[in-house]
Amino acid sequence: MAAPVRRQRGPGLPPARLLLPVLAVAGLSALPVLYLVLRALDVDRAALELIIRPRTIEVLVASLSLGLAVAVGSIALGLPLAWLTARTDLPARRLWMVLTVVPLAIPSYVIAFAFVAALGPRGALSQVLRDLGLPGLPSIYGFGGAVLVLTLATYPYVLLATRAALLRSDPSIEEAGRALGDSPLGAFRRVTLPMIAPAMAGGALLAVLYALSDFGAVAILQFDSFARVIYIAYRASFDRSLAAILALMLVAVTLAVAWVEWRVRTRRLVIPPAARRPPVPVRLGRWRWPALALCCAVTALALVVPASTILFWLLRGLSQGEPLRVLGSAATNSLLAGLLAAVVVAALALPVVFLLVRHPGRFAAWLEGILYSAYAVPGIVVALATVFFVLNVMPILYQSLVVLVLAYAVRFLPQAVGPTRASLVQVAPRLVEAARTLGDNPPAAFRAITLPLLRPGIVAGMALVFLTTVKELPLTLLLGPTGFETLATAIWGAATEGFFARAAAPAAMLMILSGMTVGLLFRAEDPVR
Amino acid sequence: MTLSPTPPPAVRMTGVAKAFGPVVALDHFELEVRRGRTLCLLGPSGCGKTTALRLIAGFEEPDRGSVEINGRRVAGPGSSMPPERRRVGMVFQDFALFPHLSVRENVAYGIRRDPDRDVRVNELLELVGLAADAQRMPHQLSGGMQQRVAVARALAPRPDVILLDEPFSNLDQALRTQLRVEVREILRRAQATALFVTHDQEEALTIADDVCVMSRGRVEQCAVPEIVYAEPANPFVAGFVGVANLVHADCESGVAHTRFGPVRLIGPPERRPTGRALAVLRPEHFDVWEAPDGPAGRNLWRVIDRRFSGAELLLEVQSGDGLRMWCEAGRQVRRLTVGDTVELRLRDVETVAFGMGHQQLHPTTDAASDEKAMARPTSG
Repeated sequence: MAAPVRRQRGPGLPPARLLLPVLAVAGLSALPVLYLVLRALDVDRAALELIIRPRTIEVLVASLSLGLAVAVGSIALGLPLAWLTARTDLPARRLWMVLTVVPLAIPSYVIAFAFVAALGPRGALSQVLRDLGLPGLPSIYGFGGAVLVLTLATYPYVLLATRAALLRSDPSIEEAGRALGDSPLGAFRRVTLPMIAPAMAGGALLAVLYALSDFGAVAILQFDSFARVIYIAYRASFDRSLAAILALMLVAVTLAVAWVEWRVRTRRLVIPPAARRPPVPVRLGRWRWPALALCCAVTALALVVPASTILFWLLRGLSQGEPLRVLGSAATNSLLAGLLAAVVVAALALPVVFLLVRHPGRFAAWLEGILYSAYAVPGIVVALATVFFVLNVMPILYQSLVVLVLAYAVRFLPQAVGPTRASLVQVAPRLVEAARTLGDNPPAAFRAITLPLLRPGIVAGMALVFLTTVKELPLTLLLGPTGFETLATAIWGAATEGFFARAAAPAAMLMILSGMTVGLLFRAEDPVR
Repeated sequence: MTLSPTPPPAVRMTGVAKAFGPVVALDHFELEVRRGRTLCLLGPSGCGKTTALRLIAGFEEPDRGSVEINGRRVAGPGSSMPPERRRVGMVFQDFALFPHLSVRENVAYGIRRDPDRDVRVNELLELVGLAADAQRMPHQLSGGMQQRVAVARALAPRPDVILLDEPFSNLDQALRTQLRVEVREILRRAQATALFVTHDQEEALTIADDVCVMSRGRVEQCAVPEIVYAEPANPFVAGFVGVANLVHADCESGVAHTRFGPVRLIGPPERRPTGRALAVLRPEHFDVWEAPDGPAGRNLWRVIDRRFSGAELLLEVQSGDGLRMWCEAGRQVRRLTVGDTVELRLRDVETVAFGMGHQQLHPTTDAASDEKAMARPTSG
């Protein structure tokens, strides 16, 4: 049948009831980029001098080195773990599959805090070593610590992308390589690796983007990459142009990386023929011991160290009478901000998703680009942009919960659009048509058919937004009402000042909250009913 | 009680035109579905038949012309009734069962505010043989079961007409044949008026009371299946429904003189041409005889292809002067293979012929494949 022609819409615009809310959302999402453009137009001789001064160059080099080192580190951990959990007879493979991805749910600044609280000069491990009269550890602060922590926080991106590519690719292609005379290693190198390389590179570039934009971990580890320097510049002076210049440079760097990532994803991604059958698992034999050691080491660093350090300081804090009163209000504030953001985002995402799915075209493509721009810009920059516009347009709202929640919503909207869209794509227009022939008018069909089928996607989107909002640091620090302490800011504040015992309780709480939300996400992934 | 005049047809489409941008889906489209009957819209892919269905259901609006259901105008100049008020049932190609509702809930969907719904749902589940599966979810059902749920769901609100969009195309071959019979039986017992579209001529001929053959947005012929097959209105219909050889003939007073001898023409007198014409000769119009090897002459044919389907054997043969024909091999000549020489004799049959005056026609070389049939110029 002439299916592709039949359902095509005319060139007309989507209906106003979709267009108006979507335009409002897009307007908000465009603010960070608009801010950057306005700031860039302001760049004058004085600003150029700021850019080329040695201190700025130093920051640029430090950030790029950090990105490069994290890329290498995340591939070094992610590739072997992906292959081991996808293609081999690794003992307890499914358990490792889960354990090695869990660090994705832990905010980088919690890992950073844990490493400082364990390995720092006054950390738990250092104290033990000092008691034993042993020499101290190398400093966790600075470049080495930042690379270690950010690698642990980001290798799951490489792991997930690479494993997906491995699972997707047809094992017969490797077998063809073997049949043509390759050794197992040769087939991996000459056949498998080229097939999964684009996915792997894509994952590594995501890790680099994360590292470049990360604020919490570098701040705690006192490593002067862009995010930390921007924050200090912002806090230190009323003249915010230095912060703005640095933000422009950071965005330029991330744009370059994002462009490469986009190229890799869209141009270079080899789509291997779909796997027709599961591959025969590679027998590791004696090699399973080093393989297990790798899994254990990564899990120890990324999970056990943070968890046990937090537990150690939590118990010590409790025994020393650390007041838990602050924790209550911080937790309440986190929950409140997270829930508000989740609800607002879900409401904003619905019209957006309907427009994207039901009225695809150039307008939808532009809309998507605008939405993602607010997500791609580092959090610290979104925070600066929001402050700028609020002070210039509606100073009364400065440091109010309304602005904070709106900023969360604008930034994390794409996270809710993703799963909601995936759900809507599965609601074939024919289902609604069927309901119409059975006597439903459009609103009734929406309530009885579309909404129930969208529910898993909406719930998943809300859970994701809640999770990231609760973890979000720079927006909360810069935009939150005075005295508005959340779990994230409580951890950060205590950790940067070295009050490890005080940071432990909110950190534990945050990890529990994250864990529960991730659990909800897994539930939401189940098919309907 | 007053004796009502002839009741209006369940569906009437008059002068309907519909285009999607530059693509014309329907043009001057006329259709009438009589109450209680099953009508099949048959045509090649892209001929507009699904568009016709969607115009009746109300998912599209006609650019011109009008649509009536049971005498009520549902679409016409400046007015369009929304789908939910048209009293049509629809069975979609992919069935479109609501994935979050059970079989029972799916069937009850259109009558959920009806106080008697439980009785009605039970009755329908009984009718389609799914009473034991009422609590199952759609994804737990086989393709055939899903189809029967879709039919039951569409029938539940007792629609004026039930529309079926290529209802068997998502099923595998064996199941398709079986479900055709089942669905026909279900529709008959529900005394439903049905309109379904298909590109499968065998499906159309087996299931329908009436067949409308379509091409390029227009109806080429509407009639009972036997007439469509025996008396095609034009070369397109002849080639699309069944296998047809179009053979040069000189027609005179109801007889077509072909190279195989004279054939009586049937159909209304005005449709019997005189002079140069093309006569439709079906494969079963011939007897095939084995001929001793020799040069293929004017009445000697060489087998160049064979299609065995179990029930019958079709041979494609070619004469010394290049004409190709499809003919059916009887039981006694089943062992014929490519390269053998055969003799063709026309049986005592009746057929139709198309005059060559007003349309450009070419004798067939191969009418057995749909694609080629579509590629030939058509009338109207």
